[in-house]
Amino acid sequence: MNAPVQITHLYKTYTRRRWLGKNWEKPVLKDVSLTLEENHVLGLVGESGCGKSTLCKVLLGIEKPTSGQVLADGKDVAVLSKSEFKKLRRVMQVVYQDPYSSLDPRMTVRQTLSEPLDIHGLKKEPRERDAFLKDLLAAVGLSATQLERYPHEFSGGQRQRICIARALALDPKILVADEPVSALDVSVQAQILNLLKKIQTQRHLSMIFVTHDFAVARFLCDDIAVMYQGRIVERAPAEELFLHPQHPYTRALLAAVPSVQGPCLPPEELAEAPGRTDWACPFAARCAYAQASCKSNRFELKEIFPRHACACGVLPFATEKKKSA
Amino acid sequence: MLNDRILKRIYTNKTSLFGLIIVVFFLLVALFAPVLAPVQNSNNPYQLPQKSYQIAPQPPSAQNWFGTTEQQYDLYYGVVWGTRLAFKIGLTVTFFAFLIGLFVGGVAAYFGGKTDEILMRLTDIVFAVPSLVLAMVIAAMLGPDIKNMMIALTAVAWPSYARLVRGDILSVKQRDYVTAARTLGARGPRILLRHILPNAIYPSVVVASLDIGYVVLTAASLSFLGLGAQPGTADWGQLIAMARNWVLGTPGHPFAYWYTVAAPGGAIFMFVLGWNLLGDAFRDILDPRQA
Repeated sequence: MNAPVQITHLYKTYTRRRWLGKNWEKPVLKDVSLTLEENHVLGLVGESGCGKSTLCKVLLGIEKPTSGQVLADGKDVAVLSKSEFKKLRRVMQVVYQDPYSSLDPRMTVRQTLSEPLDIHGLKKEPRERDAFLKDLLAAVGLSATQLERYPHEFSGGQRQRICIARALALDPKILVADEPVSALDVSVQAQILNLLKKIQTQRHLSMIFVTHDFAVARFLCDDIAVMYQGRIVERAPAEELFLHPQHPYTRALLAAVPSVQGPCLPPEELAEAPGRTDWACPFAARCAYAQASCKSNRFELKEIFPRHACACGVLPFATEKKKSA
Repeated sequence: MLNDRILKRIYTNKTSLFGLIIVVFFLLVALFAPVLAPVQNSNNPYQLPQKSYQIAPQPPSAQNWFGTTEQQYDLYYGVVWGTRLAFKIGLTVTFFAFLIGLFVGGVAAYFGGKTDEILMRLTDIVFAVPSLVLAMVIAAMLGPDIKNMMIALTAVAWPSYARLVRGDILSVKQRDYVTAARTLGARGPRILLRHILPNAIYPSVVVASLDIGYVVLTAASLSFLGLGAQPGTADWGQLIAMARNWVLGTPGHPFAYWYTVAAPGGAIFMFVLGWNLLGDAFRDILDPRQA
């Protein structure tokens, strides 16, 4: 049995053709390899612009990979024909970040939720359709009376519930959630996270969950991959990552979570060394543990403990783990 | 359900109700023109009946309710049949300008790149010349005639739609719900017809409803300048053109011939006002957030 999502050596570079001079190029994903296991939730964590959303876009076929392979449900998304991709849509669905712009303002909830069914020619019989839509709304915690309303009549959290319902309408096996709670109030975030967790367990979904919030990732994810500048710098089961973070960047991200007690200081793992921008290790310019070897060696992601991989050659914290273990 | 909403909106807003009343009134006048002012010349109902060949206008009377203008053309007949002509001009010109603009803007936004560049620079050229001046030039080149005037008006009206449609399509194309439709498996035509156009077209519909009044006003200007309807036609602009020699009245009595301008001028004013108010109402109605 194939893994639901298998990404190997994926590169994505945005290019813009110019009339004169060199083409403008921006590499966004560099040698990303990931595996989403069945019934697992894989968290993608990283700061803004690190390539999390681009990864989702490539996976969903909105962007074409520059090189490398992306297998979704065992199929290579880059070479699928249109009709084959349409079939894949039923298996893999997505929830977007902004619930305000991801619903068509001119369509009622009924129309929005009917669209996936219309596209794929499912549940055509009116009474069956109606019952299905009502069940779907109930599953995301909305009442059937809200079917005829327009998106602007709902709050952000309710809109996100509608988006989740739309994604579930095709009964997918894989759900890609691109920062589904970062546009919501903190109080609403918890409700949506609980809903996602409930749905994931009930429907046995494999899920890719993009976030920049470690607390959210810890709550929902089984495995976590930390991204930095288009690369995966650390990958481990969620609890392992929180207990024994290895990469200095992961440590810095964890330490950067603001605390209610005490002042908010920049994490000690971070340093300012702009002179190191041409170093081989992309994180060196901000790393407090950088050594001379980081100048010429870019460390590949490799397993340092079972199921725990890290792309750092210095590994300043590896001894801590051994001690505690 | 949509109709309920539109009616509710119009009833609750007094100015839009006023606009609707004005436009409906003019519409009724245009529809029942043969009843309100029986046709005198069955070959051309837009030909004004002439009471006599006396030069000086005559004030309103029992026979000529709005008075007569120069050469005894009946103003009442002119205003009534002029209403029909105003609708004809306003709706035709706006309809074709909208269609051309939708096509040009849609093609530019859909294909992008060089096609977009060429089409948009073309609209810029039309935009760069003041529209009335350009319309005058085109109308003068084609020859003074109502049909040619409508062609000239269409030629200057379409660029604003093209630009609006293109911009709206480009902005809607980027919204998440369009991407969402694609990830649901929707193909190009469905996305274009169900998501992009309905969300991109409404600003243009609002502009079109505001434009109908403006087109009639410009048409009146062209007629006034002698580039549209010919003397003796039941056209509001033409009626004002015929009043040109009389608007200043006689020495000591500046308003001696007020009625030569009052009826056609009032009709133009109310027509433009009505469409403007209705256009504002459309803008509110077509925004689902206002419901």
